[in-house]
Amino acid sequence: MKESWGMILTYITAMVLIFVLTFHFLLQGPLAGKSFEDTLTFGYATGNLVSFEVIFGLLLYAAILHGLNGVRIIALEWFHPQKKTWLLNLIVVGLMAFFLALGSYTLLAVG
Amino acid sequence: MRKDPRYKSGLISSLSPFGYNVERWSYTLHRVTGVVLIGYLMAHIFETFELSVGSAAWNSTMATLHSLGPLELVGLWIVAGSALYHGANGIRLILNEMFGKLMGKPILPVYPYSPTSLGRNQRIVVWTITGVVLVLWVWAGLYLLAGLGVV
Repeated sequence: MKESWGMILTYITAMVLIFVLTFHFLLQGPLAGKSFEDTLTFGYATGNLVSFEVIFGLLLYAAILHGLNGVRIIALEWFHPQKKTWLLNLIVVGLMAFFLALGSYTLLAVG
Repeated sequence: MRKDPRYKSGLISSLSPFGYNVERWSYTLHRVTGVVLIGYLMAHIFETFELSVGSAAWNSTMATLHSLGPLELVGLWIVAGSALYHGANGIRLILNEMFGKLMGKPILPVYPYSPTSLGRNQRIVVWTITGVVLVLWVWAGLYLLAGLGVV
């Protein structure tokens, strides 16, 4: 296998996401033993964040890195910005930093 | 400088699956569902941030979302379908690209060309994924839209 670091990151985060997102769906879904409406209450949402802080942290980091790197790949495929690749990378890294900071703050503040 | 007419249709042409085989449909759906998911994810992080502000802010956000009526649940249903398809097809892509499975053996290209990557095993996996995702998506729809499926 001779993949770029970007693709290796995409594959690893994808495999992590399959597990943690399934867990998130199960918590919000019928296995919670509640209707969907009942899973949206402040108490249930904060309770989940507190109880499964590490899993939600993993979900946050894997989803942002996978998703925004995916957007970067789509942009590279469509626009071929050969002279502006650095600008695209800068925007993507900036967005990653912003959303990771916002999500991390939420997890720490609630947890 | 005039553009080459072959590239006139641009982005739409680069995404359109019409007239291509099932792998192309998977390619298009994977990208479309990916864009839906990253859009939702960014909004979801802002939404979840309200938990750190307090219960009043969270309840206000929920009230705003509920004011959308059925659009809120239809939107979530589309997000659920996108996640199911993107995840299931993503497992196939990992098998293809990372582990080299389901791809068939390379052969000399002989007219009429047929992609060796779309052999029997690949087709079985593609259609199995489609079937499983559709079933789960209908189930998610029943749970979200009709309040059924609660165990």
